[in-house]
Amino acid sequence: MLVPGWLAAVLLATAALAFFSEKPWPASLRLLMTLMIGGLVLAAFEFRIGRDTSCAGLLGMLMLKPFETHGSRDARSLLGFSLFAPFAAFLQDQGPVTMALSLPAATLSLMAWAMLLQGPGAPWLPELRRALAALAMAVPVALAGFWLFPRLATPLWGLPENSVSRAGLGDRMTPNEWLDALVDDSPALRARFIGTTPPREQMYWRGPVLMNFDGEAWTRDVGASHAPAPMLRATAASIRYEVMLEATERQDLLVLDLPLGAPANARLNGELTAVSESPINNLIRYQAASAPSALFPEPLGNWQRRAALALPPNHDPRTIALARQWRQETPDPAQLTQRFMQWLRRDFKYTISAPPVGFNATDDFLFGTRLGFCQHFSSAYAVFMRAAGVPARVVTGYVGGHYNKLGEYWLLKNKDAHAWTEIWLDGRGWVRVDPTAAIAPENILDTLDDLQARQQAGLAGPADQVLGPMFDGTDFLRRQWNQLVLGFDAARQKSLLKPLGIDEADAWQLVTAFGIGSALALTLTLWFLLREHRDRSHPIIRAWRAFTRRLRRAGYAKELEEPPLAFAQRLAERLPASAAALLSVGRRYSDWRYAGQVLTDEEQEELVRSLRDFRLQRAAGDS
Amino acid sequence: MAVARDAVERFGDRMAALALVRPKKPESLPVRITRNRIYILPTGFGLFLAAMLTTMLVGGLNYNNNPALLLVFLLAGVAHNSLVHAHLILSGISLKAVHADPVFAGQNLRLKLRFDAHGARERPGLQLLCGDARCNFDLHADDEVEAVLDLATHQRGWLEPGRLRLSTLRPLGLARSWSWLRPDTRLLIYPTLDANAPPLPEALGDGDSPRTRAHGEQPHHLREYRPGDMPRQIAWKASARADRLLVREYESAVARDITLDWQALGELGREEKIRRLARWVVEAERSGSRYALFLPGERIPAGRGAEHRHACLRALALLPNV
Repeated sequence: MLVPGWLAAVLLATAALAFFSEKPWPASLRLLMTLMIGGLVLAAFEFRIGRDTSCAGLLGMLMLKPFETHGSRDARSLLGFSLFAPFAAFLQDQGPVTMALSLPAATLSLMAWAMLLQGPGAPWLPELRRALAALAMAVPVALAGFWLFPRLATPLWGLPENSVSRAGLGDRMTPNEWLDALVDDSPALRARFIGTTPPREQMYWRGPVLMNFDGEAWTRDVGASHAPAPMLRATAASIRYEVMLEATERQDLLVLDLPLGAPANARLNGELTAVSESPINNLIRYQAASAPSALFPEPLGNWQRRAALALPPNHDPRTIALARQWRQETPDPAQLTQRFMQWLRRDFKYTISAPPVGFNATDDFLFGTRLGFCQHFSSAYAVFMRAAGVPARVVTGYVGGHYNKLGEYWLLKNKDAHAWTEIWLDGRGWVRVDPTAAIAPENILDTLDDLQARQQAGLAGPADQVLGPMFDGTDFLRRQWNQLVLGFDAARQKSLLKPLGIDEADAWQLVTAFGIGSALALTLTLWFLLREHRDRSHPIIRAWRAFTRRLRRAGYAKELEEPPLAFAQRLAERLPASAAALLSVGRRYSDWRYAGQVLTDEEQEELVRSLRDFRLQRAAGDS
Repeated sequence: MAVARDAVERFGDRMAALALVRPKKPESLPVRITRNRIYILPTGFGLFLAAMLTTMLVGGLNYNNNPALLLVFLLAGVAHNSLVHAHLILSGISLKAVHADPVFAGQNLRLKLRFDAHGARERPGLQLLCGDARCNFDLHADDEVEAVLDLATHQRGWLEPGRLRLSTLRPLGLARSWSWLRPDTRLLIYPTLDANAPPLPEALGDGDSPRTRAHGEQPHHLREYRPGDMPRQIAWKASARADRLLVREYESAVARDITLDWQALGELGREEKIRRLARWVVEAERSGSRYALFLPGERIPAGRGAEHRHACLRALALLPNV
């Protein structure tokens, strides 16, 4: 959210106060106002400085500016700076709604510019019409600039971070903590499969891998994050797909489990997480390939094995004891897993409102509460396997998703975030185990959907059938917007000239294209502007003007103040061959124009035709 | 009255002195403003907005923020079109006539300029500037308008209005487009009237000569109306009877002509003499007497009436300075 609701209300009230106060405020009072608003803005963002704080600060300053706006000069500077408001909004959100809201803002700006020239009391309605017309006329130029203005392939400087970060996948997972992401209904990524679509239960979108556990929280292993990706041998046909990832302001990309290669401008790290070169501040698109199952031909390194077996000291004694006992009874890790899963299915229940646990979080969960969600299950299973001597780690990402039939893509929301576990089996490598999936359906007490259904009571059931397709439609539109508008960047600009046979456009080719494109757009605009200039006089007058123009070119110019009839008579004397026709049109025109003779439609047409069809008859002896 | 001009405007004014700037020399009326004599420069506000848009453009390019770029290009397009529009507002305007009634030096000259425009375009927010005098007006489609400038006058003789600037800030105030007008019209400025001149010299002459007032009480006879006759001279009743306009002609006995002689003024300074003679011309005309004006190198025989007064004042105004 750009600005909290209460702060927005305060800012609006400030602006209204400034607008309606008749007398200028004393400087001391203005300073006090400024300090108060500044303090409120900082307080709203918990005294952290970030992009969002700066945007709200800018908004506050714009609202305070009317206090010291007296002359038209002040008004102009206020109008100029207010252009930053939509820009700031675009830094936070680039959706179609924000874009649509910026258009009235631009219209109002243009109206204000024009009305400042006219002084008080200028009518606003014609100015509104003119502003809209001006915007419409600027569209060709704007589009040419948008498509063809050379883009930067790499940014010159990074986007400042928000002080309040969005919910989403992170570097940390604390099973005992409530996760905001679980109720975040906003989209996280959209994926479209190229070719075969894997079954839904295999759609595990892999994000950060968490290796270190301190008894309370799982965190990433810094060393493994920089290691090269392990070798993989796919044992199933690979799946190709295209992902459109919303801005996360993190570097992790999401790829389908298990990735066979990194997307462009990214690399796979030692834990098979795709990491982008720079933080994802804008929506991005990438393609990648994955295999549902694969073998790791290389053995697990000692160092990695040690990390994947490490457990915090003096934690969870009961879990460790049980794990050691079970491992002795069932030495095969796969069978051990099966036994653990059966236990989960029998004795554990799924709920998102899990009760809190104490210092020995895993003991308390496995032998006490036995209620939890994906974080608890994956964490407990990983701890159990490590205690049993099997390398294990937690993987975070997204699972499942909603299929949009309209656009034939899968939508994953932030609330689809999930955590699962990978264990190392010698000879096979890392194998995905999702302990949450083991919970018996009858033991799922309380899911997120239940929670939401409670929150919006009465919207469930039949309403869902109505709202479902509607939601699909809006999300499809949003995806098209993302694809057409937001996803356009330097790379796509380069491929813009493909229809012209240029695969990878050079800088100069782009500049030429920009020049040609904007020249075409300007021609179009000029044509629109000049159309107004067209002669809208009566057809007879137009025909008469054309007639005199033709004669002038032939060397018989009409004097500026010469009456038409006198002109015709003068020419008739010099051109006896055309005399009759000249005198006829001259007299008829003169009578219609100056003597008030009323002509029927046919007569008017006849006069226009004779003016138009008049040709000089040159005969010998004409001067 | 004078409004401070911003730096860009002053730059435009300085540029006008360049030999390249059109029109290069005074031109005869009518003057039509065509595209090759329209100049356009951004205003301070325009430059400020350009800086804003450039900042937003660089920011948008850096973050590849496409909605911001769209907005920037849209506003840039609007700004560009406003330049074209400003050009079109001026293009096609004609200055048809320049006219002013002569005034005495020191009074304000009301300079009337008649503009007309061809075509269906509205031309709002025009400003005419000459020195410090300015006047604002709108010119509607296929219409004529008379702009009036109040020019301060300082010197007798011919006043050349010099370079007039017809400009507009419309449609958005981002740029000022202007065209220089240099009509070759000269405007006559009469000499300043001497404020403490002695009475007319005729009072010094012998007082027994028969004089009646020009518009005496006794009607002499009726004659046909001629353009220029004063309405109160019209004999309405007689006109109604005769079914045509008749004018009473009053007996105006020939008064002794007043001679306003340059030589007779003695040792006064040259300009003082001119001022005093101008004063006497005005007073003599007001008194209804016939008066003659003898100037070095020019003798205007005795006469009376507006034309005679003008001829006398013109001769005084155009006396060489030395």
